[in-house]
Amino acid sequence: MTLRYAYYPGCASQAITKESNDTTRKAAALLGIELCDMPAANCCGAGLLKDYDYMLHLSLNARIFSQAEKMGLDILTICSTCLMIMRTANDDMKRDAGLLEKVNRILFEAGLEYKGTIEVKQLLWVLKKDYGLERLKKKVTRPLDWLKAAPFYGCHSLRPSSALGFDDPENPSSLEDVLRSLGAAVVEYGGRTKCCGFQADLVNLDSAVALTADRLLDAKNNGADCVVTPCPFCHINLDNYQAMAEKKAGTKISLPVFHLSQMVGLSMGMTPVELGLHRHLVTPKNV
Amino acid sequence: MRIKIKIKRCDPIKEGACAPFWQVYDVLATEDMTILDALMKLVSEDDPTIAFRKSCRSAICGSCAVSLNGFPKLACSTLMLPEYRKAGKIELAPLSNYPVIKDLVVDFDRFWKKMEGVTPYLTPSSGSVVTVTGEDEAAIDRSQKCVMCGSCNAVCDSEEADSSFVGPSASAKAWRFAGDVREGYKTKRLEKLSNSHGVWDCVRCVHCTEYCPKDVSPLEAIERLRSEAVKEGVTDNHGAKHVLAMAESVKRVGRLDEAAMTFKTLGFLRSFGMIPFGIKMELHGKMPHPIIFPAIDNIEEVRTIFEATKKKKKD
Repeated sequence: MTLRYAYYPGCASQAITKESNDTTRKAAALLGIELCDMPAANCCGAGLLKDYDYMLHLSLNARIFSQAEKMGLDILTICSTCLMIMRTANDDMKRDAGLLEKVNRILFEAGLEYKGTIEVKQLLWVLKKDYGLERLKKKVTRPLDWLKAAPFYGCHSLRPSSALGFDDPENPSSLEDVLRSLGAAVVEYGGRTKCCGFQADLVNLDSAVALTADRLLDAKNNGADCVVTPCPFCHINLDNYQAMAEKKAGTKISLPVFHLSQMVGLSMGMTPVELGLHRHLVTPKNV
Repeated sequence: MRIKIKIKRCDPIKEGACAPFWQVYDVLATEDMTILDALMKLVSEDDPTIAFRKSCRSAICGSCAVSLNGFPKLACSTLMLPEYRKAGKIELAPLSNYPVIKDLVVDFDRFWKKMEGVTPYLTPSSGSVVTVTGEDEAAIDRSQKCVMCGSCNAVCDSEEADSSFVGPSASAKAWRFAGDVREGYKTKRLEKLSNSHGVWDCVRCVHCTEYCPKDVSPLEAIERLRSEAVKEGVTDNHGAKHVLAMAESVKRVGRLDEAAMTFKTLGFLRSFGMIPFGIKMELHGKMPHPIIFPAIDNIEEVRTIFEATKKKKKD
């Protein structure tokens, strides 16, 4: 049976990390996963709208959900922050019927309604559970057996576990499982569940890049050739801000950072251009 | 069953400074044994020199938080064998982000200074009588549950990068009073919390909410403090400007317009400093181009939701 999802790439993956969206679309076609576009979907707010107005944050997320509900599909996103924001909003409304009622009174003004029936998933979860690792292994034509990858979950794939709940936040395994299925070796290191610093980039850049540097060095010192993340924001900090992190740490790091979708694509024979690798700031030529 | 417990120890009296080393103990573990039970058994039967804090043994006093397999837990309310089965090991260490005094005992001085820094008491404006409704109380209820165990500060990634950060525990306490309808200095509190090292420095790693043993959710308190600050017009800082730019962007095109947001958050001069970075991004085709940012379909719905939310608040 073909898997079908309402596809929500998120704002970052439609602009600054466009390569993640492009690769996901091509890889999904190769895997036989159908991604149905949501041209009217708005931004989830990335938490910033929660810092602005809680009811607005809920209502705008409910607007996204109501579109998926009309399509009769669950949402698939390739952004961990979208995942966390959408799942916590959905969880808040599903737990509290009174709250959902309040949101629907706001949506009513725009002629919309959310019944509370859809789920939000991310690519990582879909690959592991819905698609299945055995099926994924069969699709691999060029195993990544030459690669030692450091899995970087980032915060919003794991926490809060009350609303996310796919992986154990202390000892997650889905990213390792998927990478191993693609043939890669995985590196163990403590930083995999920690924060890349992204959300403080524009407020306290110094702190943000200190965290970025720490995670990258942790991965590198444990023998990684590269870092793989399911989150575009983690990619922004680990890749685009790596030069600043190197300056902060006072040492060269030169660790390429890949989107999860690029690893999947690569293992199925997609070319570097198709994967958009030229768009990375840290060149992956060495791996 | 017999299991090994590894404890990260240091003895500053003997060593002159805290030079940590791991020591392994053998314990006969039972199903009903908590981490604190195991520590007390070790001290009474094997090694009386292990230092740790404890008092109530009922998850109320907040004394016994330790790092268990890398994550903070109350020793008294955490069963040992399930944790052993999950991680395949029991490693006890002092809480991260605190200076260590001896073994599992850490120095809470900075923690208390941060608490004092948010003026942790109510200061009502004089003369007026304020009625507190159930809804008013519910808004700050979670913050009142804090037992000051310090677990949240220990896992906070912002605190890891900057020890001056106000921190999740003091933020939750700050919301307890800034969010109290009887408080007379709400705006003043929000102004102070919006300064450098304040609530806008939180990286939203969600560690505090995940590991709070009392469901305080410091992150929720931080989000509430932020949105109240924006509502009260305390917006002369990068964090609040970022939020306003986001709201404006979503209302205008339905999504995030990265270039415009950077400009609006940092202002003209600091955006100027980002130009070398921008050129590098442009060379890799990563520079967002605001002019080609089309609005999403049915953008009117988004604008209606903005208006309706504002209207419902007034009703």
